[in-house]
Amino acid sequence: MASIIVADRLTKTFQSVRALDDVSFEVAEGEWIAIMGPSGSGKTSLINIFGGLDQPTSGRAVVDGVEVGSLNEKSLTRYRSEKIGFMFQQFHLVPYLSAVENVMLAQYFHSMADEAQAAEALVRVGLGERLEHLPTQLSGGEQQRVALARALINHPKLILADEPTGNLDEANERIVLDLLCELHEAGHTILLVTHSAEIGRMADRRIELAHGRLHQIAANRR
Amino acid sequence: MFWRILSRLLWASRGRLLLALLAVTSGAAVCAALVNLDLDAGEKFTREFRTLGANVIVAPQADQDSTPTMDEAVMMRIAAMSAPEVVAAAPYVYIVANTGQQTAPIPVIVAGTWFDQVARMNSWWKIDGQWMTQRDDEAQCMVGANAARQLGVAPGGHLTLRYLGREAQFAVAGVMTSGDSEDNQIFISLPAAQSLAQLGDRVALAQISVRGATPVLEDFVRRLGVALPDLEVRPVRQLAATEGHLLERIRSLLFVTVVLILVLSAMGVLAATAGLAIERRRDVGLMKAIGGSVRRVMRFFFAEAMVIAVIGGAIGGGLGLLLSRWIGWRVFSAEITPRLIVLPLTIAAMMIVALAGALPLRLLGRVRPAEILRGE
Repeated sequence: MASIIVADRLTKTFQSVRALDDVSFEVAEGEWIAIMGPSGSGKTSLINIFGGLDQPTSGRAVVDGVEVGSLNEKSLTRYRSEKIGFMFQQFHLVPYLSAVENVMLAQYFHSMADEAQAAEALVRVGLGERLEHLPTQLSGGEQQRVALARALINHPKLILADEPTGNLDEANERIVLDLLCELHEAGHTILLVTHSAEIGRMADRRIELAHGRLHQIAANRR
Repeated sequence: MFWRILSRLLWASRGRLLLALLAVTSGAAVCAALVNLDLDAGEKFTREFRTLGANVIVAPQADQDSTPTMDEAVMMRIAAMSAPEVVAAAPYVYIVANTGQQTAPIPVIVAGTWFDQVARMNSWWKIDGQWMTQRDDEAQCMVGANAARQLGVAPGGHLTLRYLGREAQFAVAGVMTSGDSEDNQIFISLPAAQSLAQLGDRVALAQISVRGATPVLEDFVRRLGVALPDLEVRPVRQLAATEGHLLERIRSLLFVTVVLILVLSAMGVLAATAGLAIERRRDVGLMKAIGGSVRRVMRFFFAEAMVIAVIGGAIGGGLGLLLSRWIGWRVFSAEITPRLIVLPLTIAAMMIVALAGALPLRLLGRVRPAEILRGE
């Protein structure tokens, strides 16, 4: 299967700190990859580079044929809105917008807001009754599901999830992981950062980082 | 979606935005009042100036004949022009008469004139006693403050004037203080002066008070010159120039005040938006992360500033028009006409103020999403 993601000798330094050091790997379309490693190993830096939020210091990061490091600010904005769906550990919803408006905001930045479509996306993640609730009126799990609906609304090529269950209780973690499994089965490519070995085992492969370097790539048995 | 998000933004930051709205509204109110006053200032201020005496003189040509007088009918020719800018016009006859004891006469300058007109063009004179009002009152006189002091007369007293063997007695109606040469003179009615000097219907000159800025005055002098070709018509240039400069200074003062208020309003908005900019770094970082371009994200914040400018400008502009009417009554005792052009002008000025004040929000365009999402 063709590679949708290529990391080619990726290096990222912050002043004197080497967050990523010569990391190379490829990911096929539809694969679920768990990126693992201790804190400070470069997991979030890797996700941010593929998400177009950070630029690599050297090396290439290619997503769906686009070299992310070569894009200018305008192209990066379009890249983020068209190719990437983000999920963050802190959910990062706009606090003064309702659940459905948070989803519509991503539509608005992509092309045109469609309330019916946004509501349908929330129904799919089990929040059909919570459309008009503000983030502060939702539980952590519900907020993360809103974030998931927002990540999917523009049909991105790649879902980047940075510890999406890190702030959730067990029940909500299960709900979110089940949704990710469904997405995987539907053919979405997922890059998920996690500390959890259990979640790591749910992915097709695990990319393990240590001190910014690629420690190992391991395939999970099915 | 744009308006939906904008309304949510406005509601979410209503505390800080209310402060900005207050700054814009109060600035708009004062600016609108001053601009409306300025638009009316030319007329209102010159109307005030016209209480400061005559600014046009009509006199016989110097070389016309041996006695420099003209026919009193000149006053009717001036009145016949029906010029609305004329506040008052008074004929004058001047003689140097004697008063006091016959054995020790005291020479005094006597002016014969129309008191009703003199009172209109010199309403600021201070009068001890009362103004004479009848043009043909030959029994009373008014005495300048210095002359009254010198002659030892007061309102209610009597004065005898002698001129070329003729004599007339007058009761002192009032003592006036003008701060000028009139303080040394004695004013009697025109018929009394003409009778004393045996001048018939002749007058020495006419003083006219004309309302309006320098161009209006010049135009009036030109037209009057055409109407009275046999006489000399001249503006009292020093006074006209002083009025012009004073008006210019008042308008400059209004302009500087308006600019200062606009700057202060912008600073008020700046103070409110500086806090907002810090509050919204996270939102902007997030919006950029999910695909919002700098332009689209910043559009929300500048639209917010525009909403404040339009609402504050409209409310403040309306209040300003009312304020200008109140100032008009208090300062000029005159009605200031509300000029509707002031409203769009104020709103436009407030848009500039709000945009200038919202400059800290521009810094949000530089927010790097990765830093915000990392929690920096």
